[in-house]
Amino acid sequence: MPTDSRRIAGPESSTNPYNFCSEKPRHELLQNGKRQDGRKENNIRPIFLKAGVVSQARGSAYIEQNETKAICAVYGPREVIRKEDFSMKGLLTCEFRFATFSCRERRQHQQDVEEKDYSVQLLEALEPAICLDKFPKAQVNIYVTVLQNDGSALAAAITCASVALADSGIEMYDMVAGSSVRVAGKSLLMDPSYQEEYKPEEDTGLTNSGSVTVGLMPSLQQVSAITSKGEIEFELVKQAVAKCVEVCTQLYPVLQQALVRSVSEKEDEDG
Amino acid sequence: MSMATKDIYVPGQRICQLDENIICGQGTYDKNGFVYSSRAGYLHKLQSQDGKILFEVRTNVETTTVPSIDALVTARITNVTPRFCKCAILSVGRTLLRETFRGQIRKEDVRATEKDKVEMYKCFRPGDIVVARVISLGDAQSYVLSTAENELGVVIATSEAGSTMVPISWCKMQCPKSLAEEFRKVAKVQPQFIQYSGT
Amino acid sequence: MCFSTKPSQIYIDPTKSNMVDVLLSDAEKTFIIHGIQDNLRDDGRGCEDYRHMEIETDVVSSTSGSAKVRLANTEILVGVKAELGEPSPGKPDKGRLEFFVDCSANATPEFEGRGGEDLALEISNMLARAYDCPSCLDLGKLCVVKGQQCWVLYVDILLLECGGNLFDAASVAVKAAIHNTCIPAVTVSKDEGHVDIELSDDPFDVHHLDVTSAPCIVTLSKIGHSHVVDASQKEEACCLARLMMGVTEKGTVTALKKEGSGSLDPSSVEEMMETGKRVGQALNKSLKEVLCQEEQKGKKKEQTGFLR
Repeated sequence: MPTDSRRIAGPESSTNPYNFCSEKPRHELLQNGKRQDGRKENNIRPIFLKAGVVSQARGSAYIEQNETKAICAVYGPREVIRKEDFSMKGLLTCEFRFATFSCRERRQHQQDVEEKDYSVQLLEALEPAICLDKFPKAQVNIYVTVLQNDGSALAAAITCASVALADSGIEMYDMVAGSSVRVAGKSLLMDPSYQEEYKPEEDTGLTNSGSVTVGLMPSLQQVSAITSKGEIEFELVKQAVAKCVEVCTQLYPVLQQALVRSVSEKEDEDG
Repeated sequence: MSMATKDIYVPGQRICQLDENIICGQGTYDKNGFVYSSRAGYLHKLQSQDGKILFEVRTNVETTTVPSIDALVTARITNVTPRFCKCAILSVGRTLLRETFRGQIRKEDVRATEKDKVEMYKCFRPGDIVVARVISLGDAQSYVLSTAENELGVVIATSEAGSTMVPISWCKMQCPKSLAEEFRKVAKVQPQFIQYSGT
Repeated sequence: MCFSTKPSQIYIDPTKSNMVDVLLSDAEKTFIIHGIQDNLRDDGRGCEDYRHMEIETDVVSSTSGSAKVRLANTEILVGVKAELGEPSPGKPDKGRLEFFVDCSANATPEFEGRGGEDLALEISNMLARAYDCPSCLDLGKLCVVKGQQCWVLYVDILLLECGGNLFDAASVAVKAAIHNTCIPAVTVSKDEGHVDIELSDDPFDVHHLDVTSAPCIVTLSKIGHSHVVDASQKEEACCLARLMMGVTEKGTVTALKKEGSGSLDPSSVEEMMETGKRVGQALNKSLKEVLCQEEQKGKKKEQTGFLR
């Protein structure tokens, strides 16, 4: 992979100190029905959501779920510069990035495979909600940067991006709310934190271990994105999807409030 | 007659049931017999002449617009060749664009009569501001525009001496400084149109 | 139900879609959609039927393991190369599995240059995700010296012909190729903290990986109000939303993904998952039988060759 010569390169090879821990600190996910941060299985973290945070962008939003923080900006509709075939539908592009310092291990500044995968998933979650036929042969660009990752980053990004899109005034059929769940054994932990998130390298010894993320258009009750990782029993996948759908529906008022606030603030600014 | 309500709607929010007296306007769409909002903004109810109600969801900020067929656009000429001229679309209708879109006016779309006698250099020069109508979305690169109406054509042009010229006929403009005359496809700017553009 | 404002005007954008598209008129689409509603597809199959599939293993002698899958007119060749390398720092006692998809321009000119990159990335990501769980493949067997040396399996997937349903065919081919992979036996000797790795001279002194619990990908395409498995190219052009599942023999789900520009009802997601599980288990079972037969035939089997 080519490197950017303008940046100060770190040591050629460096290793995260956590790899030298002989025994990785193992925490039980659930103790007496409570999770490490004191939540119950079904509880999600408090959400702070604000629209209109980047002044240059057409639309933008910021989301905070305790220590998971992400910002999204939307630009366009604008001209497609690259020569491509004529299309009666608008073009949507998504770029999902983790800030290099956002995770426990430092990330490279070039987009890696995981970020590319998330970009595609984000795009597919948002595409069904946008009236693409309203801006033929133009493009809309969505940029999401995760400032700090404490789990459920994709779900937060979906929610944040849909608010940013609505804030930009681009016509949409519905908003998209995202939520994710960690499956461990028989328990379903909603909105997992970084420690609770499924990591394939951690052999938990559980037959059922994985995570499911769902994007839902709450008003139309349509699932726009669904992804899972890890091996999960079929019945539990079904339960997990149903739980996510339920949580996404509950999130709708939060999205609505954030937008209502931004619309009335804009009204005040105009006098 | 317009009635702005204090209700803020967000995309996907249901406005009301659809019946024959309701028209879905800007910022709304209908699905399965209901009217939904497709934008975050205030709901406006407009009474049309035939007694129908038009629903619109509007925002106070500039709306997201792209050029559409039959829209009036304001553009700046960037490049003139014998067969066509290229331009950058600056605004669509009343909405100023943040970024320009590329457009082109072909020789045969400059005026309505004597199309074969058009000489592009006698109609437009780079830097002119023109009002034109979108006749086609064109190809992947540019929109196709037309000035084949009396009201369409050059509205602002600068002479070789560098001052803004004054129209003296439908095909000529004059520089107030040097009194030199230059050829242009001049737009007959209508008073109602001036009001429309808000200048 | 698929959600689109104008279902009659499904516009196919060849630059946007990741699937390799064919051009279909509205009338042809309506014909396919109506047919599927009555459980009748344009090639005579039912909604849960796969097309004819042929599997052949050990087709490329320069690889550690290879397989070729032909699903109607989709043809995929997979070669596995086993090489010694360093394990990833997160999993010091396990081998590595690397997927790489190459969309050959032979299949369609659209793939020329970087044209097939998006599709290739999507297939390899999906496969990596489906295989990224501890119980599907015992990667511990690939460890040579903990934290220092392990076997890295480079799984290279080559698309030779695109006739729809690439993901399923690729996953079947990958599973067959890994089954066929021979990993040479090595002996590790330690003296004075120096580790020596010696490769066995005997070409038959090899071990195999157990692929019994490895997943197969099942793609369910939502067309009209119903869903189908193994969509042909024409059917893919009518489809707005797909659900892909990695299903193991036990019926567990190792990966799930929705793809396409449409959306799905929560209830139809559930129905599609039910079908996917059922079809996936059957697919794994018949694949296992075929692989057993292939193994018994051994070197005696006759080669059928490529692209007939």
